[in-house]
Amino acid sequence: MVRAVPGWLRVGAWVFVALAAVFMLAPLVVVMGVSVSASQFIAFPPNGFSFRWYERALGSPAYLNAFWLSLNLAVLVTISASLLGGAAAIGLSRGGRSGGAVETFFLSPLVLPSIIFAIGLLMLWSAVFGPTSFQALWLAHTVIAIPYVIRTTLAVLAERDPFLEEAARTMGATRLKRLWFVTLPQCRPGLLAGAFFAFNISFDEAVLSLFLRNPNLTTLPVQIYGQLEFSPDPTVAAVSTLMILITIALMLILERMLGLTRFASG
Amino acid sequence: MTDRRETWLFLLPGLALLVLGFVLPITRMLVLSVQGPDGFTTDQFARFFQDGFYPSILWRTVYLSAIITAVCAVIGFPLSYIMARSGPRVRLWLVIMVILPLMTSVVVRTFGWMVLLGRNGLIASTLRDFDLVGRSFQLMHTETAILLGMVQVLLPFMVLSLLGVIVRLDPRLEEAARTMGCSFLQTMRMVVLPLAAPGLLAGSILVFTLSASSFVTPALLGGPRIEVLAGSIYKNVTQTLDWNFAAAQAVILFAGIALLLVPYLRLGRRAHG
Repeated sequence: MVRAVPGWLRVGAWVFVALAAVFMLAPLVVVMGVSVSASQFIAFPPNGFSFRWYERALGSPAYLNAFWLSLNLAVLVTISASLLGGAAAIGLSRGGRSGGAVETFFLSPLVLPSIIFAIGLLMLWSAVFGPTSFQALWLAHTVIAIPYVIRTTLAVLAERDPFLEEAARTMGATRLKRLWFVTLPQCRPGLLAGAFFAFNISFDEAVLSLFLRNPNLTTLPVQIYGQLEFSPDPTVAAVSTLMILITIALMLILERMLGLTRFASG
Repeated sequence: MTDRRETWLFLLPGLALLVLGFVLPITRMLVLSVQGPDGFTTDQFARFFQDGFYPSILWRTVYLSAIITAVCAVIGFPLSYIMARSGPRVRLWLVIMVILPLMTSVVVRTFGWMVLLGRNGLIASTLRDFDLVGRSFQLMHTETAILLGMVQVLLPFMVLSLLGVIVRLDPRLEEAARTMGCSFLQTMRMVVLPLAAPGLLAGSILVFTLSASSFVTPALLGGPRIEVLAGSIYKNVTQTLDWNFAAAQAVILFAGIALLLVPYLRLGRRAHG
């Protein structure tokens, strides 16, 4: 006879989960609350209700420029990281004996703190090309996004049917045809998930962007950071809320298309 | 074209980017840390350890990271166990609760904590209303503030590391332990915890590494007087423009993390046979 989990423990578990949820989500809820406050001071719970901070944020050239820079960057990073990471994942999935070492190397940007990479890249870029530029940020974000694409794509490729490609080969399909009609469709869910993560990482990234920033190269997180350091007002909260909403939208799409839990416990 | 060659063709573009855009910059940083006006020098390292100031920053970084890691482990283990053993609907909500903050920019989350922890923020004013603290009570710009913020930022990494391991555990092992007369808590301690140890270890290393190397949250919540190593590096790069010294500090951070990672990789290899 197995005794059931004691009742106090069940209740305790629910209380614990509720507290954890409050702890994890409170900062986001608070930011959203401040953004619709009518008062000009940052206060939570908000006083009154208004959208005026959104109006001000959308009318501010500094925020708009930062937004367009971040968006451009994230789109280009998504493309470059998906191409390079996807190709690498296909190569790794076919890998022979040396596969493990090469995979570790590809995933190393995940393990190494980005501050160490950031300072190195800034120093090398300055020595070779001079002042930092959009290309430097593009390179930096691509390097840290590639491991995510590789991981999601490899996870999907590990579950595929390896004999499909074998079958295509015996039927006389060329390498390119096999890639286009067999391997790529097999990669699709992993590649898509990886692309979403790549976009999200680039759009939200702060460390590399802070090290590589210059007056003409201020991404949205860097702009927010600068405001927080000096004079936070509810406009920052409005911009932050928009960033949270973009994240929620990305997550919803990811969940609808592929299922979140699948990539969460991989 | 052979299959082998095709495989390398897939790997090559990514490898090239990583060598040029990742390995080379880090090498450059390592070189700069020991480069002086007349060639090789260890002056920058000597300067770091010359008086008590920088070692105290290093020490604060280490103990804060250790506490943050421990708190993440204590909250993360039960949370990921509940996630692993709950039904698909509940699990989805719990995954969202963990991943939504993870996918939100660190800057935004830290801003939320700044509002909560501020002098007239929700936490301080509630404590004051109940007369639990005095008028001068201050949470912002304390180590407690850094701790709270960092645990919220890093807990998802711990939970996801643990969840990956616990989901794969066979629930029948727990049932067997219960049938043999173990209480629920005994089963946790003697069956689940040892089997989840690899996830706990991986999560702890990840959380410690990320915590020791982050500066956005500590700088905003701790203020200018409570400095950590990563913040000091950032200051040297952007404000004092002392790049050689910044590189030396980055090497010290790098070395500390490598010291932590090497035994872990050894352990991992042994566990895999």
